[in-house]
Amino acid sequence: MSAKEQTASGPAGPPALLASNLAKSFGGVRALKGVDLVVDAGEVVALLGENGSGKSTLVKILSGYHAPEPGGTLAMNGATVPLPVPLGQARTVGLSFVYQDLGLAPDLRVVENLFVGHRVTRGAGSMSPIRWGAERERAREIFARYGVELDPSAQVGRLRPTSQALLAIVRATEELQEYRHGHEHSGGVLVLDEPTVFLPEHEKVFLFDLVRRVAGEGFGVLFVSHDMTAVREIARRAVVLRDGAEVGDVLVTETSDADLIELVSGHRLDRATIEQATSYGSDTVTEPVGPVVLSVSGARGGRVRDVSFELHAGEILGVAGLLGAGSEDLPYLLFGDMASVGGSVRLPDWSGEIAELTPSRAIALGVALVPADRKQHGAVAELPVAHNMLSLALRNFVRNGFLRIDRMIGTANQRTATYDVRPRDASLNMAALSGGNQQKVVLARWLERDPGVLLLHEPTQGVDVATRHQIYELMRARAAKGAAILWVSTDFDELATVSQRILLCANGRIAGSIAPPYSRDRITSEVYSATARGAAREVSTVS
Amino acid sequence: MTTNVETPEHSVPPSAGNGQRTSSGLARILNGRVAEASLLPFAFLLVIVGFSVARPATFFQWSNFTSIFGLNSVEFILVMALLVPLTNGDLDLSVAELSGMTSVLVGWLNVNHGWGIVPAILAGLAVGVLCGALTGFIVVWFDVNPFIVTLAMGSVYDGIALWLPNQLTVAGIAPQLTQWTVLHHILGIPLDFWYGIALMLIMFYVLTFTPFGQRALFVGQSREVARLSGFRVSSTRFWAFVVAGLIAAISGVINDGVLGSATPGNQGTLLLSVYAAAFLGFTTIQPGRFNAIGAGLSVFFLAIAVNGMNLLGAQTYIQSLFYGVFLVLAVVASRVINRRRAAAAVARGAG
Repeated sequence: MSAKEQTASGPAGPPALLASNLAKSFGGVRALKGVDLVVDAGEVVALLGENGSGKSTLVKILSGYHAPEPGGTLAMNGATVPLPVPLGQARTVGLSFVYQDLGLAPDLRVVENLFVGHRVTRGAGSMSPIRWGAERERAREIFARYGVELDPSAQVGRLRPTSQALLAIVRATEELQEYRHGHEHSGGVLVLDEPTVFLPEHEKVFLFDLVRRVAGEGFGVLFVSHDMTAVREIARRAVVLRDGAEVGDVLVTETSDADLIELVSGHRLDRATIEQATSYGSDTVTEPVGPVVLSVSGARGGRVRDVSFELHAGEILGVAGLLGAGSEDLPYLLFGDMASVGGSVRLPDWSGEIAELTPSRAIALGVALVPADRKQHGAVAELPVAHNMLSLALRNFVRNGFLRIDRMIGTANQRTATYDVRPRDASLNMAALSGGNQQKVVLARWLERDPGVLLLHEPTQGVDVATRHQIYELMRARAAKGAAILWVSTDFDELATVSQRILLCANGRIAGSIAPPYSRDRITSEVYSATARGAAREVSTVS
Repeated sequence: MTTNVETPEHSVPPSAGNGQRTSSGLARILNGRVAEASLLPFAFLLVIVGFSVARPATFFQWSNFTSIFGLNSVEFILVMALLVPLTNGDLDLSVAELSGMTSVLVGWLNVNHGWGIVPAILAGLAVGVLCGALTGFIVVWFDVNPFIVTLAMGSVYDGIALWLPNQLTVAGIAPQLTQWTVLHHILGIPLDFWYGIALMLIMFYVLTFTPFGQRALFVGQSREVARLSGFRVSSTRFWAFVVAGLIAAISGVINDGVLGSATPGNQGTLLLSVYAAAFLGFTTIQPGRFNAIGAGLSVFFLAIAVNGMNLLGAQTYIQSLFYGVFLVLAVVASRVINRRRAAAAVARGAG
């Protein structure tokens, strides 16, 4: 089923993008193992793969963020491009990117955002007049050409998310048009990195229309996505990565959903044997026996649209969902860290609206949150380990009106042994520790409070394999002592390993649960199918 | 695709013409953004009417207004120094002291050292540019917080201003300077006011109609977006401090002209009044942006309000009190504008 031969019979010119043998390692881990990629002019190619498959490493090599290992080559429109691509200058070689966050300035106007690339001037050019009337007129012409309805004077932050995405795509395409002026009016590849994740289902058609027009102008499009429906809608060919290697290059029309999902999830028996040794998930699952300690009904807020579930004492409840499914907002919503628009919770000592929760109240009620973004939300890198570990218990270290730092460090030093934080020196700054050890410190901070409910969001992100298993053991031990743990993750290997029950989250709702035995492959295929089902339903109810 | 543009009550009408907010037609006036933009001018009018009714004999006289216009040109010019750094997201707290130091320096060179007034002025402006460049270099090169750096630089300028003339007032600055600032009039208003008007229009042009101003806007919004758009963020920030230094020096020269002398000393009230005006200006004319016309308007709004209260019998301490209160009000108002926008965006994202 090789599609490469098929493309050879396509357009006569050289491919818009021809990359070969791109490889990248991070500290001994091969993130990308020599991948080839071809995108023809006027062709939409989907790049598929799970988290950690090497997808984002590949995109970051193209954008110049990572330098690939020697041996890789890149040719744009037939011309060889020296690697690495100069960072921030990818457009000069005919590559233009739209990322999930779109890169727009929300307080500024559409026309200002559209032509921001023109403001790169030097010397006297910086004082040359901008004729806004003419700029708006040009913006209107450009929007008309792409069939997009946008008001050039509107403030970007006030547009719907879909309109913002359209603007970002038009802007990126215009960059390519300018590249073409200097390059025989051909070539150019638009890279869309998960652009549909946060868009409502029924508005994605606008985006698809636009992408088709862009391809119609002869640009190549590389469409990076988890979204099977979207891929099926616009892509001709799909390249699938798994574990840093290319495992498939297929024509979308000739491949069933099931085949695609199987390519993405794969069957890695060697890993399964490892899982067997460390997992108790698969065999010992039964109905949860402990009392319900957290009962959520009709939770709404952020991307969570309607979520109800019960969490029992002594269980680890996994929540599996793709990015944008709403599961990534759930822990923060239940911790009172995100504006809620509905729903209620019941805890042993309190029940009420979710909107009444605040982080301080949640902490007082024995709820703990371990956020995914350790650098931003989990820990303070420039403070010592002791302070990070004991910041919730400072009161215990006050003697006669003085905070006794020495006692804090003493206690924290003991804890470094309990939680196996290395090196065992709590006076070091957090920044001196590896990601895995930092995460153990963050966990220790919460575990010291003996929380009844633990909300975990991607608790092993950026953590090495050995530490991961330590964290799994730590959490299992807590659950055995009666803690209730909600574990939200896009790492389905991990969920299969730790969870007693697994809920599926798709389109902001709980789409059901997965019956044991668990494996990464099963969770992956169930999640993708549930997301596709939900998407189909939504389109049919809207139109 | 008609559902593309969200149309809440505050959105700009789809065909917003050439974008100028000068409105015609009732519907346009009732539009939320226009109302927001014209709130301050309306308050301005109200204040003038109020004081005119209370003190028709002293306040509502053309001579009173011309003297207000002539006597507040230092603030009027100095507020323009803040706009580019503020648009970049940087605070420059040294402008008032830099203005004070330049005014002492120009007077000292002219009076104590017998320089001609023109070379003295040129030297003052050059020092302003160099000081701005030094601040910008420190901030950008070492990546340190401009708030603290400019606070410290202000103290340095203050020290130099006291040191040069041995803490004495420099009197007897060349009378030509005074002639060309307050004694010559156009339309009955001293020249220095028109200098301010010219500078205001230049700043309006620079911030609204040039690539330089656009870069500053993007840098202030998000350094990351600016960087990915190919801007050299450090350079944008550096030049903002240079411009601020130059304008601060100009205001120092004007100060010499208005007073005919230069007194070293604390410029705290001056700093507070220009910040109050800059943030008040943020809420009007082009709401949500630090804009030249809004800032200029705000300077005179505050000056006229203080003048009116003085005529009602308030003591001089009213100035400090009033500027402080208005700075707080203006900052709160600018926050509310931003937060309301953010809230509108979040609501849409969720819905």
